[in-house]
Amino acid sequence: MIVHMVRVRLAGPSARLDDVLAFVQRLGVLHVVRPEVLESLTGAAQHARAARHCRRLLDDVEFAYTTLGLTRPPSAPVAPASLPRAARFARRVRRQAAKLAKQKISLEDERVMLLRYREFFSAFESLIGHELAWPDGQAFYVVLRAGAVSAVQELRKSLVKAVGEEIELLDRPLPSGEIAVLILVSNTSAPKVAKLLSESRVQELPAPAGLGEKNLLRAMPALRARLAELPRALETTAAERRRLAEVSGQELTALRTWLHDQLLVIDARAKVHAGKHLFVLEGWLPEVQREQLTTLSGKELGPEIVVEVLATEQWQGDNAPVALSNPPLFRPFEVVTRMLPLPRYGSIDPTPFVAIFFPAFFGLMLGDVGYGLMLAIIAVVLRFKSKPGTTLRAVSAVGGACAAGSVLFGVLFGELFGNLGHVVGMKPLWFNREEAIVPFLALSVALGVVHITLGLVLAVITSWRRGKTREALGRSVAVLMVLFTVVALLAAFEQLPRALFTPFVVALLVAFPVLIALEGIVALIELLSTFGHILSYARIMALGTASLMLAVVANKMVGAMGSVVVGVVFALLFHLVNFAIGVFSPTIHALRLHYVEFFGKFFSPGGVEYRPLSTWRDHQKHGT
Amino acid sequence: MELALLSVGAALAVGLPALATAWAQGRIGPAAAASLAEKPELATTTIILIAIPETMVILGFVVAVMILLRGGGAG
Repeated sequence: MIVHMVRVRLAGPSARLDDVLAFVQRLGVLHVVRPEVLESLTGAAQHARAARHCRRLLDDVEFAYTTLGLTRPPSAPVAPASLPRAARFARRVRRQAAKLAKQKISLEDERVMLLRYREFFSAFESLIGHELAWPDGQAFYVVLRAGAVSAVQELRKSLVKAVGEEIELLDRPLPSGEIAVLILVSNTSAPKVAKLLSESRVQELPAPAGLGEKNLLRAMPALRARLAELPRALETTAAERRRLAEVSGQELTALRTWLHDQLLVIDARAKVHAGKHLFVLEGWLPEVQREQLTTLSGKELGPEIVVEVLATEQWQGDNAPVALSNPPLFRPFEVVTRMLPLPRYGSIDPTPFVAIFFPAFFGLMLGDVGYGLMLAIIAVVLRFKSKPGTTLRAVSAVGGACAAGSVLFGVLFGELFGNLGHVVGMKPLWFNREEAIVPFLALSVALGVVHITLGLVLAVITSWRRGKTREALGRSVAVLMVLFTVVALLAAFEQLPRALFTPFVVALLVAFPVLIALEGIVALIELLSTFGHILSYARIMALGTASLMLAVVANKMVGAMGSVVVGVVFALLFHLVNFAIGVFSPTIHALRLHYVEFFGKFFSPGGVEYRPLSTWRDHQKHGT
Repeated sequence: MELALLSVGAALAVGLPALATAWAQGRIGPAAAASLAEKPELATTTIILIAIPETMVILGFVVAVMILLRGGGAG
């Protein structure tokens, strides 16, 4: 159901505007809009500047808040004693937090890099004596990729060819499978070796920068010492971050809440017409809360502030914001409605109809006690893993309703994991889907007739409410024509007395020109598409039968695999696959039947969501 | 012979729409994925668009079942 809204106007001295906005924010029921009649006196530039300052300050606060890893819930807003001081505080904490974060990243990077070097240390360390035994020479450290044993020989050959016998090449395997190679050459031959290594794209392993030593072996003691120091340095940084979070956390959280609240007020203030002496604030609120607003306004704001409820004739119903309100049993299905844009104010909220038909269609398609119970388990798990009011909680409720539908129709069709129910003595209470394909098809199409006719009736009501009498009459004729056609067809197939055929065909022929006269030639196309939509409900039978047949095939696997154990395993796997398909496919097709066939008849999207001016804490609580 | 023809008819009734559905979904799928990359809020619309061509194969399946039932080839 779409909540009935009223438009109210609050007016009073401009000096009281701040009080009024604070009151409206506290109350949290008024969806503020810009008055349409009066000339704008909002001082947009001034508000834009205030909003810019607030956002800049909030940016600092949010950065510090996130960087310091604060997870406190929004606290009570505390207005800072001095805004410049608060700005300086936020900037200072931001700078300190950024510095600590940068320091932490740098230390972690350094640690990761040094750890990468660690395995090379031990391999090269054993070669150190050779380098020191050739003090006038130059050493090159290279790492060859894993499995390149022949590459060592090739490297040796190339080096000997380039510089003669003035080299020494030593190699050691690394734990990673790579090969550490030390090449010692005389100073005169070193440039040639460097060139050769560069040309053969063999990467020399350099010592990490910042240790004052380019030679890897000589840098090793310093590297080891640094590696040992790093955890301590990291812990010091973390402690500083914790201390900063502790010292500034409370003030930061309060300031954050206050700034968010201020931004909401600034946004609302931009919609208020405020002159030198007077202000006018307009907004929407649910009719049931009108009394609360007027009473509390009188009490808290005094007689200076006038609250006036605008007459319905003074506003366009289409512009009113939309709030959905449904009984708790139907409310979770709002998630299905909200997957499309909200319905316009004054149109019909389809949620109650979705709550009835969606689980029914799903149950008819899946229709199996076993699969229904599996889905129920998933729904229960989702319920325990979700928080109240979240989308996941709504999905769990919808899943639960669909599971109930599946179990119910499973009992009616006598199905438990396909035809396994027959083995344990389950009998179909209604009909057996495996055999009664035509009755199942007839049931599906009959449901289509009911659903589509309901959609058309809702379309008539919508048109009537909007004062479009001609359109309402045209749609009524379309409803009658659908019903006449159904009766004529049933009479033709002798499901109803044959005598009804001629009168209903005549009635159809009479209704046809009336429909064209009321709605034009397009109505004919719409009528034909309506019959197409009704036939589209045959998918309920098609998907239901396919799901059942797959379950039957899964059961047949037990006896078809030679070994019973292998057969059972295959059957279980096949049932699992069928369950996955059986949940996914009916969901998509039940959604499609609603969105395309049913909603297409009456749904008018384009509603604006009702978002009252409230505190940021309330916004967070309601997930808006 | 008659049963064989009925079976071929039923197979064609479901097979040809299945190919048509596959072709249509093959065209819609990439377009839907591209749209979703830019506008994730179109998820519902794309799901519906992908499901629309399935009507062909579903009605084909219904026709195939009717052919087999009328010819006594099923059940």
